[in-house]
Amino acid sequence: MVGVVWTLLLFQMACNEKESAKPIILKEEEFEVEYDYPALRKLSEYAFFTGTMHQLNPVSNLIPYELNSPLFSDYAEKSRFIVLPEGGKMIYHPTEVFDFPEGAILIKNFYYPLNLTDTTGAKRMIETRLLIRKSGTWEALTYVWNDDQTDAFLEIAGKNIDVRWVDANGKSQKVNYSVPSLNQCKSCHWRNEEMTLIGPSARQLDKSNELYPGGQNQLIYYRNEGLLAGIPNPTTHIPLPDYSNPASGNLISRARAYLEINCAHCHRPEGPAKNSALNLLVSETNPVAYGVGKTPVAAGKGSGGRKYDIVPGKPDESIFIYRMESNEPDIMMPELGRKIAHQEGIELIKEWIRNMK
Amino acid sequence: MKYNIPVFLPIVLLVMAACGSDEEREGVVWNNIEKQLQSKFITAKEGDTIRLEEGFFAFSRSLILDSKKNITIAGAGIDKTILSFKWQEEGAEGIRAANCKNITFQDFTIEDAKGDNIKVTDTDGITFSRVKAYWTGGAKETNGAYGLYPVLCTDVLVESCIAARASDAGIYVGQSDNVIIRNCLVYENVAGIESENSNNVEIYENTAKNNTGGILVFDLPGLTQYGSDIQVYKNTVTSNNHVNFAPKGNIVGIVPPGTGIMLLATRKVEIFENTITNNRTVGTALVSYELVNAMEKEEEEAAGSAANINNNYKLDSLYNPYYSDIYIHDNVYKNKHWFPTMKSDFGKLFLLKFPFRTPDILLDGFRPPHEEWNICISNQEKTRFANLDAPGSFENIDKSIKNYSCNIPTL
Repeated sequence: MVGVVWTLLLFQMACNEKESAKPIILKEEEFEVEYDYPALRKLSEYAFFTGTMHQLNPVSNLIPYELNSPLFSDYAEKSRFIVLPEGGKMIYHPTEVFDFPEGAILIKNFYYPLNLTDTTGAKRMIETRLLIRKSGTWEALTYVWNDDQTDAFLEIAGKNIDVRWVDANGKSQKVNYSVPSLNQCKSCHWRNEEMTLIGPSARQLDKSNELYPGGQNQLIYYRNEGLLAGIPNPTTHIPLPDYSNPASGNLISRARAYLEINCAHCHRPEGPAKNSALNLLVSETNPVAYGVGKTPVAAGKGSGGRKYDIVPGKPDESIFIYRMESNEPDIMMPELGRKIAHQEGIELIKEWIRNMK
Repeated sequence: MKYNIPVFLPIVLLVMAACGSDEEREGVVWNNIEKQLQSKFITAKEGDTIRLEEGFFAFSRSLILDSKKNITIAGAGIDKTILSFKWQEEGAEGIRAANCKNITFQDFTIEDAKGDNIKVTDTDGITFSRVKAYWTGGAKETNGAYGLYPVLCTDVLVESCIAARASDAGIYVGQSDNVIIRNCLVYENVAGIESENSNNVEIYENTAKNNTGGILVFDLPGLTQYGSDIQVYKNTVTSNNHVNFAPKGNIVGIVPPGTGIMLLATRKVEIFENTITNNRTVGTALVSYELVNAMEKEEEEAAGSAANINNNYKLDSLYNPYYSDIYIHDNVYKNKHWFPTMKSDFGKLFLLKFPFRTPDILLDGFRPPHEEWNICISNQEKTRFANLDAPGSFENIDKSIKNYSCNIPTL
């Protein structure tokens, strides 16, 4: 009898061992990408910044800008600039992103403040992404900063970087930050068969910016400086609230703004996730189309055993929350651009669903 | 000790079975060509062939091919070139191709992606030839949804492929036009082969074995397009009796174990010259979305959920929840099982209504209210048939196949 029990235990041990056995995966050999990729190799070659490069002091033709509701990117902070060619103007649109002239460049620097509880402002630059308007389309490039923080280098296949910082509560945080491959850029920026911008629309840019003279509104500044054509007076867009600021809009409008900026680059009728029939643009008025009582189409285990995207009043029965809380590659939403769950965003969407009738 | 040896033996055997299935990759040393290969995907020029050597290769993020023309990704053969995504940390699929023209994947094995093994979206001209897509650890709910997954594509060819153990469909074609799936082997998936909201689809000379449902032809509401003009022929659809392991919330969760071919709310479908054997619940089932809706509703009421938000398909005013123009002919049905599997409500219902031998061909009985139904079954007079009369609460089940004897010109 004892023998049988032993046999059983042995089998179980053998089984457990197999589960935990570490796979042997060789390190990839260093290789020289024979890329004849048509792009500058170093960020410094663009001469965007003066002085110590990582301080990001812009040369005079760089226009800093901010968005009302930015995309969540693993708590990385972003500093953004627009470069317009001499005499070039952006063109106003009431709902979509602006049109930009040939030669325009959008610059987005991703960095982590090392310690949010101190005031030194010390930060670690991670990557600088560029969108360059060239031959009537947008080209996406990314440059990864070196450890010395002296320059950034073209990266086409993507890269993972371990980052540590101290958050506002003095707690130490870390993330295996993911620099996208150039194809991953397209996963979000592709719409209607072409590369598209996501951020700079009138709805997002309609805010004051303390970096501007007199801390004025960005749109007004662009108009006064002759940088923006076609802007009607009065304007016809509805500004997007800052989802993190209750003073800027009610719960519904902030939740919808959050979903639009974090999800609607794919989940819109012309976006890469149109096959799911979920539309998270603020302009969608059909509750089923933005998830209420909607069954998933091809979610697989992303459903988490839940049946509807949103069950009114019940965030914990809603697939939305399940996928926002997950960090598993095949379950999490968004699929790209984050490794950790965005607690503040989850709370906002939970609150919205909880208050839904 | 009051237990004796015979009680323990089955437990020991169970333990052995539970951990036996991962062994096929034991001791493998995985090569790493991740960045090199992703770079090749990015820099590939029109007409290029990207070759994958024989060997074992592991990846930590999805390989993505985007906006490329005339590219072939070619390995050294099934089970010779093996791409594993078992330790994947990023991306919802193993390989993803999007916005391309004329892409061919051939001669390799891809396994254990966290989500789908290969997803191809918004692409005109996509060929999968001699590709094996599967999950090594057995059929599990935690496996990815689809093995080979072209969606929103045109001119799709899937040939001589193997797809296994997907928690949704092994080979799934969604919202696509001009599709051929032939000479493939699909096993231990929830759905072996599934065509969903697709047009001009031919599914032929495939073998579907031990899935929950062998071959499914579905049309669902609220998507970018509806499907029709589908031929399913000369397939071997056998012993599709696997337990349904789809995660809840997915439409294939409705498929009863023991289903050979299931058609849901699709028009213009021809099913012929298939050999459909030993599927315990039903050989070929024609089902309307009305039935799906009624089943879901019942389940929700049973669960005490007052939400009843499942009538959403009615919001899609263009959606037709009925099947019509269906021509079934010259199929061979055999079933050695006398009783249905009891793992579904259908199984239990059938045991009640068909105490000996379940039907080979079955209709739920929901008819389109305003148009012709056109259900024709010919050249298989000996087939066991039933119109379930689901709208009449199964009161007037019609078992006479002769009432459906007619011909429709083949598609």
